[in-house]
Amino acid sequence: MKTLTTLLLCGLLFSAPANAGVLEDKNCGSCHRLKVEDTETIFTGPDLHYAGNKFQPEWLKQFLINPEVIRPAGFVTDPGFLPKTDLPPHASSSEEDANALAKELMGLKISTSTPVTSEPLTKGLRAKIKYQFERTFGCISCHQSLNLAGKVRGGISGPSLVNAGNRLQADWVSDWLKAPETYTAKRRMPNYKMEPATLDQFTRFLMTLKKENIK
Amino acid sequence: MIINYKLLLTGIVYLAILVTACGQNEQATPAVKPPTQQKAGEVIPQMPQLKPIQVTEDTRQTYQWYCSQCHGVKGKGDGINAKFLTVPPRNHTKAEYLETRTDEQLFEAIKFGGLSVGRAPCMPAWGQTLAEDTIHSLVRYIRELCDCEAF
Ligand code: HEC
Ligand code: HEC
Ligand code: HEC
Repeated sequence: MKTLTTLLLCGLLFSAPANAGVLEDKNCGSCHRLKVEDTETIFTGPDLHYAGNKFQPEWLKQFLINPEVIRPAGFVTDPGFLPKTDLPPHASSSEEDANALAKELMGLKISTSTPVTSEPLTKGLRAKIKYQFERTFGCISCHQSLNLAGKVRGGISGPSLVNAGNRLQADWVSDWLKAPETYTAKRRMPNYKMEPATLDQFTRFLMTLKKENIK
Repeated sequence: MIINYKLLLTGIVYLAILVTACGQNEQATPAVKPPTQQKAGEVIPQMPQLKPIQVTEDTRQTYQWYCSQCHGVKGKGDGINAKFLTVPPRNHTKAEYLETRTDEQLFEAIKFGGLSVGRAPCMPAWGQTLAEDTIHSLVRYIRELCDCEAF
């Protein structure tokens, strides 16, 4: 009987932080914005208050277990855009924690994106958009991506897009290219006013970029 | 309209060289030095009269926030993207080159991107992001950085 009471008590004690949310429990909010209302704090990590709009759940889980570098120059917050030196690796979680964290992150949404198609592009269209990615719009100046030979190339001031097709939701990518202000008030990426057809093809092009295609 | 064939040819050759675009890779062409002999005012037809524009704290901050990604904090062309680009970002402190470019050419390069003035596409267009007045003030700021005016 005594053990039972202890067990019950322990259960109560441990369930308290769990109710507060595992993100809070793990202190993710010390570096990441988790709440829409929080517009004042300057965070040292990327916004996660719309994680449910942005990420693919499977990628999220894998990232939390085995983090990869997405911003080769670090998450830059200073206005002069000085690269961070000595980047510490992102904390990794156990599979169990990662599952719980990913589930909670996927629940953080701030918009209902218009569903778009993420059907792969034909070879011809891919070549066309790749050309526009590099020349017409100069995306490659700031983003790493894969060239047709499967090599990583491009600038590092923006997040790497090498794994965009596994990492991001197509709807979100389209949203970002169309109305990035929905997600981030002040950005360093130029605004683009793409024709709807171009927007659609760019989204599908980015979704073809996957790290397993690195050669 | 009089066509300057020599200029036209230089332009065509230059564009042809640039076909490999911006991301550095093994096969990339070596960085091309753009022609600097162009006489100011020859190619750009009439531009609306420029208003006198001041460089303010806002101008500097705008430059720091957007342009320093490539052009560097001090405008020396050494931003964090610089070493990944096939054509290096222009060094905005270099008077010898910037003297050969008119304010209108600089304005167009910023608003419509490098390609619009026969320069590399690695220089993106900022016309959808920055107001015209801001772009004019950035031109003035670049003139401050190079401590030079167009010939
Ligand atoms: C010490 C600060 C810090 C803490 C604490 C922290 N993170 Fe991060 N996190 C970062 C930084 C910096 C990045 C950017 C890494 C990159 O881009 O390569 C990042 C990236 C991420 C990303 C990818 C987001 C994107 O847009 O690319 C996710 C997801 C994430 N963190 C989740 C978490 C979770 C969940 C926790 C709590 C278990 C957590 N983080 C704790 C600093 C932190
Ligand atoms: C001048 C540099 C620059 C150029 C050019 C640029 N971007 Fe970006 N991009 C950024 C930065 C920096 C971010 C991070 C958010 C911000 O600050 O704007 C970003 C964010 C993104 C994101 C969201 C990635 C994430 O994980 O959060 C996508 C998708 C994207 N850019 C695609 C593009 C495409 C497509 C183009 C060309 C049409 C392009 N970018 C051109 C700098 C750039
Ligand atoms: C993504 C990288 C990148 C960003 C961001 C960028 N530039 Fe550039 N810029 C370049 C490159 C590369 C060149 C060189 C083009 C060439 O020489 O063919 C250049 C050239 C220029 C030129 C010279 C054009 C000429 O006539 O030769 C001006 C002026 C200029 N940039 C202004 C700006 C301003 C102002 C900003 C910020 C609003 C900015 N740039 C942001 C990459 C960039």
